Amino acid sequence: MFDRRSFLNRFGLGLGGIALNEMLAKASSPADHGVLGGTHFAPKAKRIIYLFMSGGPSHLDLFDYKPVLNQRNGEQLPDSVRGGQRLTGMSGNQSSIPMVGSPFKFTQHGQAGEWFSELLPHTASIADDICVARSMFTESINHGPGVTFFQTGSQIAGRPSFGSWLSYGLGADNANLPSFTVLITKGKGGQPLGSHLWGSGFLPTKHQGVLFRAAKDPVLYLGNPAGVSADSRRLMLDRLKELHQHQFAATPDAEIQNRIDHYEMAFRMQTSIPEVTDLSDEPQHVLDSYGTDVKTPGTFAANCLQARRLAEKGVRFIQLYHQDWDHHGGLPGALPRLCKETDQPAAALVKDLKQRGLLDDTLVVWGGEFGRTAYCQGKISTNFGRDHHPRCFSAWFAGGGIKAGSVYGETDDFGYNTVKDGLHIHDFHATLMHLLGIDHERLTYKFQGRRYRLTDVHGKLVKGIIA
Amino acid sequence: MMSVMRFLFFILSSSAFALPADHAQRLERGLKSFQQDVAGILKENCLRCHGGERVKSDFDMATREDLLRGGSHGSVVVPFDAKGSALVQQINHAKEPHMPDDKPKLSAEVIAKITAWIDDGAPYAEPLVAGKKPKRDASVVTDADRQWWSFQPLKKINAKSIDELLLKNAKGMSFNPPADNATLVRRLYLDLTGLPPDSSDQTDLSALTDRLLSSPRYGERWARHWLDVARFAESTGFEQDHDRPFAFHYRDFVIKALNSDMPYDQFVKWQLAGDEYEPQNPLALAATGFLGAGVFPSQITANEVERTRYDAMDDMLSTTSSAMLGLTVGCARCHDHKFDPLPTRDYYAMLSTFTTTTRMNVDVLPDGKVTAAKTTVNAKTNTPVVPGATRMMICGEGYDPIVMHTQGGPFFDKTYVLKRGSPDMKDGEATQSFLQVLSKPGDAKRWQWQPPKDAKTSGRRRSLSNWITDVDQGAGALLARVIVNRLWQHHFGRGLVPTVNDFGKTGTASSQPELLDWLAGQLIANGWKLKPIHKLILSSQAWQQSSQRDAKKEAVDPDNGLFMRFVPQRLEAEAIRDSMLAISGLLDETMFGPGTRDENSKRRSIYFNIKRSQLIGSMVAFDVPEPLVSQGSRPTTTVAPQALILMNSPQARQWAEGLAKRIQPAGDAPKQIAMAYRICFNRDPKPDELATGAEYLKSGASLADYCQVVLGLNELIYVN
Repeated sequence: MFDRRSFLNRFGLGLGGIALNEMLAKASSPADHGVLGGTHFAPKAKRIIYLFMSGGPSHLDLFDYKPVLNQRNGEQLPDSVRGGQRLTGMSGNQSSIPMVGSPFKFTQHGQAGEWFSELLPHTASIADDICVARSMFTESINHGPGVTFFQTGSQIAGRPSFGSWLSYGLGADNANLPSFTVLITKGKGGQPLGSHLWGSGFLPTKHQGVLFRAAKDPVLYLGNPAGVSADSRRLMLDRLKELHQHQFAATPDAEIQNRIDHYEMAFRMQTSIPEVTDLSDEPQHVLDSYGTDVKTPGTFAANCLQARRLAEKGVRFIQLYHQDWDHHGGLPGALPRLCKETDQPAAALVKDLKQRGLLDDTLVVWGGEFGRTAYCQGKISTNFGRDHHPRCFSAWFAGGGIKAGSVYGETDDFGYNTVKDGLHIHDFHATLMHLLGIDHERLTYKFQGRRYRLTDVHGKLVKGIIA
Repeated sequence: MMSVMRFLFFILSSSAFALPADHAQRLERGLKSFQQDVAGILKENCLRCHGGERVKSDFDMATREDLLRGGSHGSVVVPFDAKGSALVQQINHAKEPHMPDDKPKLSAEVIAKITAWIDDGAPYAEPLVAGKKPKRDASVVTDADRQWWSFQPLKKINAKSIDELLLKNAKGMSFNPPADNATLVRRLYLDLTGLPPDSSDQTDLSALTDRLLSSPRYGERWARHWLDVARFAESTGFEQDHDRPFAFHYRDFVIKALNSDMPYDQFVKWQLAGDEYEPQNPLALAATGFLGAGVFPSQITANEVERTRYDAMDDMLSTTSSAMLGLTVGCARCHDHKFDPLPTRDYYAMLSTFTTTTRMNVDVLPDGKVTAAKTTVNAKTNTPVVPGATRMMICGEGYDPIVMHTQGGPFFDKTYVLKRGSPDMKDGEATQSFLQVLSKPGDAKRWQWQPPKDAKTSGRRRSLSNWITDVDQGAGALLARVIVNRLWQHHFGRGLVPTVNDFGKTGTASSQPELLDWLAGQLIANGWKLKPIHKLILSSQAWQQSSQRDAKKEAVDPDNGLFMRFVPQRLEAEAIRDSMLAISGLLDETMFGPGTRDENSKRRSIYFNIKRSQLIGSMVAFDVPEPLVSQGSRPTTTVAPQALILMNSPQARQWAEGLAKRIQPAGDAPKQIAMAYRICFNRDPKPDELATGAEYLKSGASLADYCQVVLGLNELIYVN
């Protein structure tokens, strides 16, 4: 057996990442250090669980308490607040834009006195573990570009996603599992999510996210075909290996060795993935903490628990999506339902990680692609809706290196403009990378004539959310 | 103070204006005038808006270089020519906008001083703002910029063969010995058709090459390469990702064009302006699908309409320039290109080509006539009501644009130069012209095509196509270099220029500049036909040498940029699947028409329908790229999900069973095994391979199990 360096010299970098991981894992060293060969500086976190709330949750009804909107309910949003800005989205042609107060009660929690609406009792209970940012902002006013911006650093699809950059830069910690996995709440509808959101863009495809499906095979063709047993599969693979070895003896080509190894990896994934996706060994109290949905595969609760299990196994980037936050109308009815699906599992995840000592080096992020307007879309009614609002919205962070129990940024009395510490997507990316030990300006890839990075030519560290 | 010598050098090195014989005396006089009066006049009346506090209209007069560069409306001062200087006309109120803006007209005396100073060459003694340096003028393309190798005319290379030119650069190495005949036959089949040999008794390689080049399977194989470059897909992308059910005609056009060996210049012209060349020829119309294959959002709100339109035009221009010219013109959308001589002004001048170009559906009637798509379609099948008509998506002008869910129109009548790419910062209307760096000095009108009076189109795209194919004065030399490099790339696994989509300064320069120019010259001399170039390459010693490894060669030339060995290549996803289908005897050779996303389809993979949000999983696992931007080369990964597909997909089992059925009649196990090896690898099994296979079968495995093992072998998906 040779050490890592001579291995790389012998076979050349870039040949079959997972196979490489696997070979190195045999020597029980961390699998693959990625192109950086380690972090730029000591990391605070080793992995990310990103709970993406697709559609644009209303910050005004969840985190950003604005009593002025209730006091002046029905009045026109003052021109001075809008500052001559054009209206966004579908309300662009409205002649009247009445403000609408949140119908939900707000109370303060935790040492920082963070406000939470009554729809988020569980999240409120972890107030001292999280940092609520109220001053997120973006440039996108529509879903496709908005989500793409958060996931890839660009509004136009085609750039590598956040998780791909991490896989490329830091490699994988577990040779038996993909380093970037994606779980989507089943059957939610709403705005569709395209595979470019976890695509690897111009990075090698081995860095793309592997979508775990809420199906019998969480990975494509993971199960043996009907009538084929694990034993006969093993026999088949042994013969295949033998033939490959004959070939390797005649022409010692590294690629043949890679191929042998990735067949073995695939064989192990047939076991390792069902293992990690099988929740039957979870104690009842843990299952209970995530809520009753946890038993139904593909629910947000089941995916949150799944995320914790993947984190335990060393998966680097675990991306969850929960769709249907796009409440142009019927918000008072829809929002409680969405919160019921997500509030308890998200909070349970943080608590569960904490209880296992995993929260210290796991980053948890909760947020959508934009917020929603202070004025109502269409005519004001008890069943009002809010339009897309990119100028300010809320998100929360927890875990590795985050300033727990804090609030970052501030919006005006109308929740329309940011008045303090705006937090742009590029800065968000730069800061998360920093916590993972990466200088975002030094993780680059040359493509079509220039060096690209997740933060493009932007991004600055936001010290205010760091412990 | 700038010395007169340096100053003269500056003037002499710029060929933009005529230098009068008495320029030295005049400049001296002008310099005095500058110091005594003109500097003060300019500072008092002009500088605040043009270089002092602001730079309006991008016109900065703080330094002489910037003064002469002009602004967003073009030239302002022509040295030694006051009459021809816009500034003099504007201060005389003979031209709008009058200057100084919003102030009384300058006195006759002041005007006279400025006029005389310009006639004396407009010299500066020092910048009007102390210490200010001229901007590096990225908006002006100079002769120095044209020195970059890929912008040069093709060099005339005296050579007889590819091999001769390669050996010249070989650093003392020589080619590997030729590969054996069986290997070459397999290599040839996979290279040209993407399918393994159908019979092994092929000895005359030259005749085989001709036969394969005229096989319809050739076009299906090589069209796929071009479709990557054209970011081809059949849906709109973005969140809704609506289907484009009539977009497949473009894919069929590419296959047909390659099979008929359409000259490459015509191939390019039709893709840019087929509707302007032959408005009644369905194939020419289908070609324009190139422009329309990009992503486009729906649910466009009022304030997104304009930006979205610029994005759509950018997609057309960026793809055209990457695919055809290997240039990253898109970088110049927001700023002058940082590395290549591609000014923002050129970008918008090129962009305006597409001002009125949109996706449209047309119907081709049974009699061959092309008409606007009838609005009445059968809602269920989305087909036109005229019986026998074929609906086709094209991208051009003159028919009803396909309208997405939008609060705006399909296009704007004008294209503007945008500052920092923002539609909110318009900086004058853009009029069509072409990249300066690829245009011999002279009037851009030489490429302009005036459409006939009854034409439905503007003529702009055909004008672009004239310039892009003009070898002597336009971009034709680069066009030829880029395509022969792509051919080389797919035969050898890497291009002569490895960065196949970037021939600019950030790309990797050609390791074989003479060979590239010689091949480009051969292409043009052969009437832009691609098949003769394939034949040239495939007949070379370079292509026919073995892939035998040689440590010495690998040390001297690790990347094989000198091509003194053949490097095995992994097949692309399509060729892997197509090979499996052919080997299993299941391949359905039906050509053309709508595709499917059913993985059980037995047709070649190029006929998979490409929906951006639902790419075929097994294809993506083998590195099919997302069709979002032009892709010149695919990555090759070796990942476990590929193994899972070959182990567990129902298709893999079908392939194994198909192969089992073919070898079953061969007789006993050794004979069956031998037949499997000949079908799959075009060779006989070695004794140890035979033994392993026989043992496996003896242990009770079915013939199909054995076949699945063979289909899982690395050798099957590599070209040696």
